[in-house]
Amino acid sequence: MQNQNHNQNQNLEGQLPDEQTASQFEDWANFGDDDIMQQHSAIRSAEADKIPFLGEKEPISALAAEYESGSPILIEKIKVLAEQYVAIRRTRGDGNCFFRSFMFSYLEHILETQDRAEVDQIKRKVEECRKTLQSLGYADFTFEDFFALFLEQLDCVLQGNESSISHDELLNRSRDQSISDYVVMFFRFVTSGEIRKRSEFFEPFILGLMNATVEQFCKSSVEPMGEESDHVHITALSDALGVPIRIVYLDRSSCDTGGVSVNHHDFIPAADDLPNSTSGDSVTKNPFITLLYRPGHYDILYAK
Amino acid sequence: MAEDKYNLKNPAVKRILQEVKEMQSNPSDDFMSLPLEENIFEWQFAIRGPSDTEFEGGIYHGRIQLPAEYPFKPPSFMLLTSNGRFETQTKICLSISNHHPEHWQPSWSVRTALVALIAFMPTNPNGALGSLDYKKEERRVLAVKSREAPPRFGTPERQKLIDEIHEYMLSRAPPVPQLNPAQDSEEQNTNREGEAQSSLQEDGAIAAHSNPDPVDGENLAVGDRVIEEVPEAAVDANPGTAELRVSREIPAGGSSDQLLHKPETRAQKPADDRLFTWAAVGLTIAIMVLLLKKFMKSSGYGALFMDGS
Repeated sequence: MQNQNHNQNQNLEGQLPDEQTASQFEDWANFGDDDIMQQHSAIRSAEADKIPFLGEKEPISALAAEYESGSPILIEKIKVLAEQYVAIRRTRGDGNCFFRSFMFSYLEHILETQDRAEVDQIKRKVEECRKTLQSLGYADFTFEDFFALFLEQLDCVLQGNESSISHDELLNRSRDQSISDYVVMFFRFVTSGEIRKRSEFFEPFILGLMNATVEQFCKSSVEPMGEESDHVHITALSDALGVPIRIVYLDRSSCDTGGVSVNHHDFIPAADDLPNSTSGDSVTKNPFITLLYRPGHYDILYAK
Repeated sequence: MAEDKYNLKNPAVKRILQEVKEMQSNPSDDFMSLPLEENIFEWQFAIRGPSDTEFEGGIYHGRIQLPAEYPFKPPSFMLLTSNGRFETQTKICLSISNHHPEHWQPSWSVRTALVALIAFMPTNPNGALGSLDYKKEERRVLAVKSREAPPRFGTPERQKLIDEIHEYMLSRAPPVPQLNPAQDSEEQNTNREGEAQSSLQEDGAIAAHSNPDPVDGENLAVGDRVIEEVPEAAVDANPGTAELRVSREIPAGGSSDQLLHKPETRAQKPADDRLFTWAAVGLTIAIMVLLLKKFMKSSGYGALFMDGS
């Protein structure tokens, strides 16, 4: 396919003699891999022009406007949604939208509530995740920068110290690739570690998604940037960090009884060391993170 | 390394410095790699040709370029020493090594990539572009030649680094085996029967564990598979033993299928080694038969060894 063509170019250039001088070969750009990556990044930047990593808060009516002439079921559902939620914040559809939505939603929650108990809770979990990765054989240097950057953001949203940041600054940072992508990658490490650690639990779910082993799944669908998230990722992240997540589903499904309702699913972290994450039973912790799922994409929802 | 002259706020710089530190504190006999003093995004490396291949004893130098977005984007590799497997001064197409750039992940490192590169040397290029398919004899000649002098390349500072790496590798890498491989493996098999047997099983386990990726395949089990192999390779890196170990093999994508439907050879080898393997196996069987005969006659170890030699 595409790869082949690129490779052919490469072969022509590969015929150069060994004695070639350094200056001549400084230019080692025209290569298959580079071409592919340039193409990828061109697509990404085209996408970036349309929407930043995180958009502005918009009223739910902005969502309704999107479907004005669309499916009547969706229009009805958005009306139902508007009864419970006031606003939506869109995220870029770059395959990292779930993690990015989670990042912003979580940090924003901490910034607004100053919930130090929750910060202590997640820090304990982060330390556990670090140990998990170490015990799985990850070299420290491959993940510690990502961990450090997340912990730094966590400290910054807590007010009262010199590194404290405002809501605007949080938004800026979440839009800054060098911070945002690092935090997304941190969540990917955490998710991958949790799935591997409890591979027996996750195996059947993974097999339900694709014909892959836990190992392959983590390597191809969790750790690489830009790979989309599914319920397996959400369950693992929620469990690993001890943070409940509510996902509201906006799709064309309707129930036969005639009434339109919007389904949601709560991912409630498994109680410590109990390898079952039951859903719907939100007695212990009510999710403070709500994401809107439309097939293939997650955005942030704000409850009334 | 003068760390203060780099912007430590730059996450790529931070990460690279950590890799340098890690590389220095866990040196390997199989490779050596360091960045240039003036630019830590530019590295030099040398790898040792894998044992039991026509590259054994060779010291192959190359250059690594790390992108500004490292570790989100993969490093690029280029060999500078003629080797007969990869074109020199040509960026190695990472796809060959199953390191598809779109699947590169930040948990990989320069070390992972170098280990993967070593593992891919003895694999069949299958016409992959940027690859060379020299005959084994030619590769062996290049392996000998590669030890004589490091390549001349780049600035004096870079050259100094290349020379240093070469000295280090020379002190670690056993020389190119000169013996006729069939003869050699004959000795080997009589002397080290049990050992060969056990390491065979190990290799079998590794080969079975790794999924047979096609060379152009999507999956990237290579990174891990290769990592698993590191400790083993380090144990076997026994300087002074120039024997060709028939039973050792680098499990590698692409060759796994061929291995699987030839289980009776016992020694799993990449396809291009098959001739030698067959010769060695034939000789071994002959010797075994002879030994068995002798054994039945004399039923004594002393006698056995006298007759066997």
